[in-house]
Amino acid sequence: MKAVWTVARKELLDLFRDRKTMMLGLLLGPVVLPALILGMGALAEKKMRTQLESTLELPVIGAEHAPNLIAFLKGRNIEARPAPEHPDQAVRDQTFDVVLKIDEAYGEQWRGSKPAAVELIYDSSRQDSQIPVNRLRGVLLEYSRTVGVLRGINRGVSPEAGFAVEIGQRDVATPEARRGMLLAFLPYMLILFSFLGGAALVIDVTAGERERQSLEPLLATPAPRAAIMSGKILAACLFGMLSLLLIVIAFKLSFQLAPGPLQLIDVSAPVMAQLLLVLLPMVLIGTTLLTLIAASVKSVKEAQSYMSILMFLPIVPTILLMVNPIKNQLWQFAVPFLAQNQMLLKLVRSEAISAQEWAVYLGAGFGLGLVLWLLAARLYNQERLAISA
Amino acid sequence: MIRIDNLHKSFKTKTGTVHAVKGVGFEARDGEITGLLGPNGAGKTTTLRMLYTLMKPDQGRIEVDGVDVARDPTAVRQRLGVLPDARGVYKRLSARENIEYFGRLHGIDEATIQARIASMARTLVMEDFLERRTEGFSQGQRTKTAIARALVHDPRNVILDEPTNGLDVMTTRGLRGFLRGLREEGRCVIFSSHIMQEVAALCDRIVVIAHGQVRAIGTPDQLREQTGLPDLEDVFVRLADLEGEAA
Repeated sequence: MKAVWTVARKELLDLFRDRKTMMLGLLLGPVVLPALILGMGALAEKKMRTQLESTLELPVIGAEHAPNLIAFLKGRNIEARPAPEHPDQAVRDQTFDVVLKIDEAYGEQWRGSKPAAVELIYDSSRQDSQIPVNRLRGVLLEYSRTVGVLRGINRGVSPEAGFAVEIGQRDVATPEARRGMLLAFLPYMLILFSFLGGAALVIDVTAGERERQSLEPLLATPAPRAAIMSGKILAACLFGMLSLLLIVIAFKLSFQLAPGPLQLIDVSAPVMAQLLLVLLPMVLIGTTLLTLIAASVKSVKEAQSYMSILMFLPIVPTILLMVNPIKNQLWQFAVPFLAQNQMLLKLVRSEAISAQEWAVYLGAGFGLGLVLWLLAARLYNQERLAISA
Repeated sequence: MIRIDNLHKSFKTKTGTVHAVKGVGFEARDGEITGLLGPNGAGKTTTLRMLYTLMKPDQGRIEVDGVDVARDPTAVRQRLGVLPDARGVYKRLSARENIEYFGRLHGIDEATIQARIASMARTLVMEDFLERRTEGFSQGQRTKTAIARALVHDPRNVILDEPTNGLDVMTTRGLRGFLRGLREEGRCVIFSSHIMQEVAALCDRIVVIAHGQVRAIGTPDQLREQTGLPDLEDVFVRLADLEGEAA
């Protein structure tokens, strides 16, 4: 046990003296991730605000047929503009988000108290045009309803008779969706960083040490190989947790500073502590898996070639959940990556995690870590491990 | 005291099986320097690796102070001070920290470690660079650090794999003095080299190895007598059958 700590201490000392590697490993995540979140949040927020609140300049065909409607639109901050010659093409070319066409028969239909035809020209495949189209549609409905009510009153009909069903709506989609998008990507980043955050260190202390030919004298000491390996794993785990702690603190600060709905995410100290606890098995799994790889390959280069595949692993459940959303079930808390994903989502959404789910999660996570640790220890005991030349 | 008996080891390579060590056996006594002499690729390093438990022999038996290597490798490693072919000192640690690290892995207490470092730094003349990080060390400074690291636990048996490789004359001389000191203290020293003069200048007994087999064992004088050649290099060439190879 003493040997484990001796090795861990030496590896950390060695690493912290390598200033550049240490700074990159420790600070890159906490700086880049919040910048990404804050930047994206601010961008989306700004865009939405502009589209919702600024004057919407609306090309109108046949504005002269419906002066009242144009005036009503103006009162709702929608300014009529002369229409382009080929409205369909203009919308397709993204020159305009939406064009309003007022039928020539509008005036006649209006006077005859028949439904007067207007037409919205827009491109539904364009995410960007959704807000202005909805805004215009809402205003037109409002106009239609107001006029309808007035007509009813004029004819002595109760205005309520015109509405068989009243549909109440509360549109929470936009902020929720944006939060959802961010939440889908947040677990991936956290899992990725805990899974591979210490990769450089882990590969270096086994494959790198062999390449520098210092593994052979190390293994000639009476310290058991399993203890030496455990010390290296411990050092990498401690480093990984330190870097995660910094990332989590950075997240906390950036969510507090972020505009709009991101502030709703619970970033209190207990949640952050649980977040770290959730990521702890991932750190262990990543470190032991990389140790296993580093002990089985011939060189650092070979070990690094595995990285691109490993980086892809944590995103698999995120993609699966995007394509095929499934409800939380207990077995999911035992599947690596998926389990972390579910736990993190629950945490940031402030959903309750039952004791059973915690038990399955931690049991499966640490269990897998232990299995990988035992496999790595077996490899460490092979004689070819030490032989560098 | 080290006893090696009928050691065999082969490796599988892409081109087939290489029988690196074929029945090597010899004895290294306490208070003597035993030289392991052989050309490159003779099986010296493999033999030594099996001795310090890094590899398992396919066949044969090794005993260190009466302890069977196969039965209790940890106890054997405690009794051995090993300078492997691969020196590998940690470049971001100082010479002292390198030595301390190994002292702790041997389970020695801090006071003893510091006392051992002080005494070895004196004998190996390494006080000047003891506190410096080993990055940028000369070959001699690196070797001295590695030797001090190997001997921090004051072992009875010392194994040095080509310790004079790449060292200049004065450092080599200093190292020889150091090894004689170890002999005076009654330790068992095994020293491998591919240079006859090196071995002759230092060793009490020489084990000549070639092609994974022991070709001769004896004092330098006995080997001269055995071959009837006056020049030590000729003796080595004859014993290791290097002429036949070159021809």
